[in-house]
Amino acid sequence: MTRDLLVVDRVIKRFGGLKAVGGDDGLSFTVPEGTFLGLIGPNGAGKSTTFNLISGVLKPDEGKVLLDGVDLAKARASEIAALGLGRTFQTPRAFPSLSVLDNVIVGADSAGERVGMAFSGRWRDSEGALRDKAAAVLARVGLSERINDHVGSLSGGELRMLEVARQLVRDPKILLLDEPTAGVDPSLQSKLSNILVDLHAEGRTLIVVEHNLHFLLRIADRVVVLQNGQLLSQGTPAEIKADEKVITAYLGADHAA
Amino acid sequence: MNLVQLFLAVVMFGSLFSVLTLSLNLQYARGGMINFGTVAYFAAGAYAYAIVTQEPPSGLDQYLVGLHGPWWAGFLAAGVASMAFAVLTGWPTLRLRGEYLALTTFAFAEMLHSLLVNERRIGNGTVGLANVERPDPGSLGLPDAWAYAGAAFLLMLATALVFRRLLASPYGRAIDAVRDDETAAEAIGKDIARLRFEVFVISAVPIGFAGALYAMITTLVSPDLFTAEVTFFVWIALVLGGERTILGAVLGTMALVGFQELVRAFPFESVRAAEIAAAGEDIVTGILFILILRWQPFEAMVKRRAAA
Ligand SMILES: Nc1ncnc2c1ncn2[C@@H]1O[C@H](COP(=O)(O)OP(=O)(O)O)[C@@H](O)[C@H]1O
Ligand SMILES: [Mg+2]
Repeated sequence: MTRDLLVVDRVIKRFGGLKAVGGDDGLSFTVPEGTFLGLIGPNGAGKSTTFNLISGVLKPDEGKVLLDGVDLAKARASEIAALGLGRTFQTPRAFPSLSVLDNVIVGADSAGERVGMAFSGRWRDSEGALRDKAAAVLARVGLSERINDHVGSLSGGELRMLEVARQLVRDPKILLLDEPTAGVDPSLQSKLSNILVDLHAEGRTLIVVEHNLHFLLRIADRVVVLQNGQLLSQGTPAEIKADEKVITAYLGADHAA
Repeated sequence: MNLVQLFLAVVMFGSLFSVLTLSLNLQYARGGMINFGTVAYFAAGAYAYAIVTQEPPSGLDQYLVGLHGPWWAGFLAAGVASMAFAVLTGWPTLRLRGEYLALTTFAFAEMLHSLLVNERRIGNGTVGLANVERPDPGSLGLPDAWAYAGAAFLLMLATALVFRRLLASPYGRAIDAVRDDETAAEAIGKDIARLRFEVFVISAVPIGFAGALYAMITTLVSPDLFTAEVTFFVWIALVLGGERTILGAVLGTMALVGFQELVRAFPFESVRAAEIAAAGEDIVTGILFILILRWQPFEAMVKRRAAA
């Protein structure tokens, strides 16, 4: 049996008295190492909030999150990232004053970010390797031609891919992607789908929130369904497709159409 | 005042205040931190220099400490004092953002100012410290004005080079990322509290050195030399030059100092005329400020050069 890389244990998060995540008993699920988990649910189900609770952008009101056995209760977002968690945001985030290439390089943990190293100039030794790595990751997400461009000139879909690249360059143990295909044109979408399948095959752990169900049910190996911040169902894509509760609550509209 | 004197005054004070503008540029344009208490770090440097170099108190002196140390010890102490004050004020305030940080740094500077006014044992109260010792450039065969203008210019150059070295490294990339988007920077593991604190403290050191040099030039440190006006002056210079580049920051400061020295150099026949000129200077500074905010000529110039 593989160990659980991520454990979400009876987590509750309230916004002004309303429970966004957790319902009565709190939200619990585990993610064994190497899993490609699809996280689905209607708008407002609490998917993005769950990502924020795992990555430390928000702290749970109750319950706890463990990453590789480490309790994240007191960890800041930057510390959780340093523990090996990578994530993207539903609204893509970029650093507008940096070039596309630098937007990715900055994701790598460079020794030159220490004052002493910066002054001594010794960071130059590793900078070339970082550039090559960043360029390779940008090629992987299809942004090779945009390397020297200003991020302001990227489309919404390209910004999403840039954010994925910035996380991939860090080699995270677990990668959380929030609606990576939203606003991405179909050719990039199939590219993304290939990348996710490859990352999974490399043994990486992934959690992907998607609106595009067919995209996810085809490539994920486990699915968690949220509704009103609570776990509605979980299982393999085949089990989810056959689950009555899911069909009525979520797939219903799709099936009727 | 002849042209040479005017030139020397502009180089001396222009370079000296450029050090402050450059530090603000690092804190604000790169670090995203609004420090409205700049004068306090400058004062910390000047007072530290005076206290380390002056003679022990005698006669009517009310200050407690005069170490009569060599000038270089005073100079180093000035950097340390400014840095220490940055650690002290940065630690509790850097969690704050935007105008909240501006207000707290302003308040810290006002606190230091009133401490210097009221606590005679530090700096003789409002009288100030007049026994400031300074090296005699005569031994180098240089007239004082040339020597101190040269020293100020070198300090400015050193500050610009050191900052550029820092900013051209991955460190500069990381602080740009933090300023652009803190949440995204945290998501790639950047310790934003550490980076902001370091930038704040590092940029305070040259301000302290400038304070020491200022004390050498004026040979007097007193609270009325270190009011919020200094802070505003440096901010105006920074805005004049456009906040994005090192060269812009320097040009903006030189232009502002040049204008003030020109007005001062004009020979007035009566006290009344001089008073009117002083008021006129404020008005013209204000108008210049508005014009330059509107057109940002120095920033445009720097951009054209960069594009060429
Ligand atoms: N920062 C916030 N403040 C208040 N309410 C929020 C905040 N973030 C999310 N919510 C609310 O929490 C619920 C879950 O939102 P979210 O996690 O974004 O859903 P999903 O990503 O599944 O569409 C929604 O009702 C949303 O309005
Ligand atoms: Mg969402």
